[in-house]
Amino acid sequence: MIRSPLTNPYLLILPGFLLAAFIILWPLYQLGTISLNDVNRFGQLRGFNGVENYVAVFTDPDFLGALWRTFIWTGAIVIGTLVVSVPVAMILNEDFYGRAIARVIIMLPWAVSLTMTAIVWRWALNGESGMLNSGLHGLGLIDQNIQWLARASTAFPVQIMIGILVTVPFTTTIFLGGLSSIPDDLYEAAKLEGASRWQTFREITLPLMKPFLNISIVLNMIYVFNSFPIIWATTQGGPANSTDILVTYLYKLGFRFGKLGEASALSVMMFVLLLAFTVLYVSLAMRRERT
Amino acid sequence: MSPKLKKSFLYWALLSPLIVLILFPFAVMFITAIKPANEVLSPTWWPREPAWRNFIDMWAVTNFGNALWNSVYVSVLSTVLALAVSIPAAYAMSRFRFAGQGFFRQFLLVTQMLSPIVLVIGLFRLVVWLGLLDNVNSIVFVYGAFNVAFTVWMLQSYFSTIPKDLEEAAWIEGASPAKALVMVFLPLALPAMTVTAIFSFINAWNEFVIALTMLRRQESYTLPIQIFSLVAGRYTVEWHHVMAATFVATIPVAIIFAWLQRYLVRGLAIGAVK
Repeated sequence: MIRSPLTNPYLLILPGFLLAAFIILWPLYQLGTISLNDVNRFGQLRGFNGVENYVAVFTDPDFLGALWRTFIWTGAIVIGTLVVSVPVAMILNEDFYGRAIARVIIMLPWAVSLTMTAIVWRWALNGESGMLNSGLHGLGLIDQNIQWLARASTAFPVQIMIGILVTVPFTTTIFLGGLSSIPDDLYEAAKLEGASRWQTFREITLPLMKPFLNISIVLNMIYVFNSFPIIWATTQGGPANSTDILVTYLYKLGFRFGKLGEASALSVMMFVLLLAFTVLYVSLAMRRERT
Repeated sequence: MSPKLKKSFLYWALLSPLIVLILFPFAVMFITAIKPANEVLSPTWWPREPAWRNFIDMWAVTNFGNALWNSVYVSVLSTVLALAVSIPAAYAMSRFRFAGQGFFRQFLLVTQMLSPIVLVIGLFRLVVWLGLLDNVNSIVFVYGAFNVAFTVWMLQSYFSTIPKDLEEAAWIEGASPAKALVMVFLPLALPAMTVTAIFSFINAWNEFVIALTMLRRQESYTLPIQIFSLVAGRYTVEWHHVMAATFVATIPVAIIFAWLQRYLVRGLAIGAVK
């Protein structure tokens, strides 16, 4: 082999590794340090105080509310996305007129920044002038304007709906990749054997799609758990923290309330949780590779 | 009616609720953007007369040009930064087997899973420490670093499809590794690098949390933050200007993305299981 810096893999990965490690490990180290210290709102450390910040987070009722809502948020969006994406992917995998256009439309929300999507929805959901109310009026579905974002009981479900809408494109594409990997002769054989559509779906499609389903579920759990702009740009977690999830609550703790110690403690806990998700993902991906 | 036509009707009917929901915000965005100012608050669908002027007025009122420039600056430089460090790394990952390769792959995976929001307080301290608060260059570095994992994954999965024989043939012909790289490998890898660059650009273009945290003055705002600042915490919102700005900021990128998304999927699918 000819000796050259270009044949030394360590030199080649070094710049990328250093950049990513610096931007990720330094802040992580900072978070760990702050979370174990008494810290004022300007970020000055005033001495080690053990796990006090962690205790403060856990005894905060707003945290418990946000934690519970994060479960609902993540669970509802991941499951809702799955329920929508499986049939959509199966339809888009078939041959029909206008399929290319249908695919582009279904993928469209993926292309738009979540912030912009959320701002447009915020306007569409406006109580007096929003087009959702006027649209529903026009269809005769409501006769009084609904103040969608004024109460958590309507705001949070709508936010979840937006969340599902923007998660469907990614999930559908993963499923399309999975569906196209199933050989056609399996379906032909099933047809010859006289299997019904439902049987074909249950006995062939579903088992072969399982790795793709698993991976999309875990990835979506991570993305949705981390998703900030939809809630922030529609309600900023309001009214009165009633639509906060962990990421918006974390942002408020750190940059509104100036409770840097508690915010750092929360960050560290979320990091650990994400790490657990990642391990889950890796083990699923590895299992897929082995089979 | 032919069976395919019948099937098409059925499928479009099944997809229609979802399609309506997807297109609804785009319709709201476009219709509001062309409504005259005095009609914006009336909940009608169509304006009596489309006010195309809104797009021109919006440009000045929303400080659009400045934010657009910041967004272009940040997205281009962070993409260049990410690619500059990722191309050699992806080349190494696809061409060599070395101790620590698995570790590097896991490291990238963890950085990919970690959204900046979880680290935002630490990142904020880092930026303050570097004296880069309120400076668009700070987010160039953060975006660049957070994009490394994605770009290495994408590039590596494409690089692996370029046969190694071609470079080896060039070596045997007496070309130095550098020359083989430039003359043989890079031209073949150009499409993959272009696609990856565009996705990295779009990621930076759409990013919200980091920009919201690090940029405090309007002169340094990127487009999402600029548009968000027109809406958040205001008593009167000029919705026709906001929607016109959203439209202009969104549609060009959306078109490029819709056109390229199948490459993204292929790259991710290969990268995710390797």
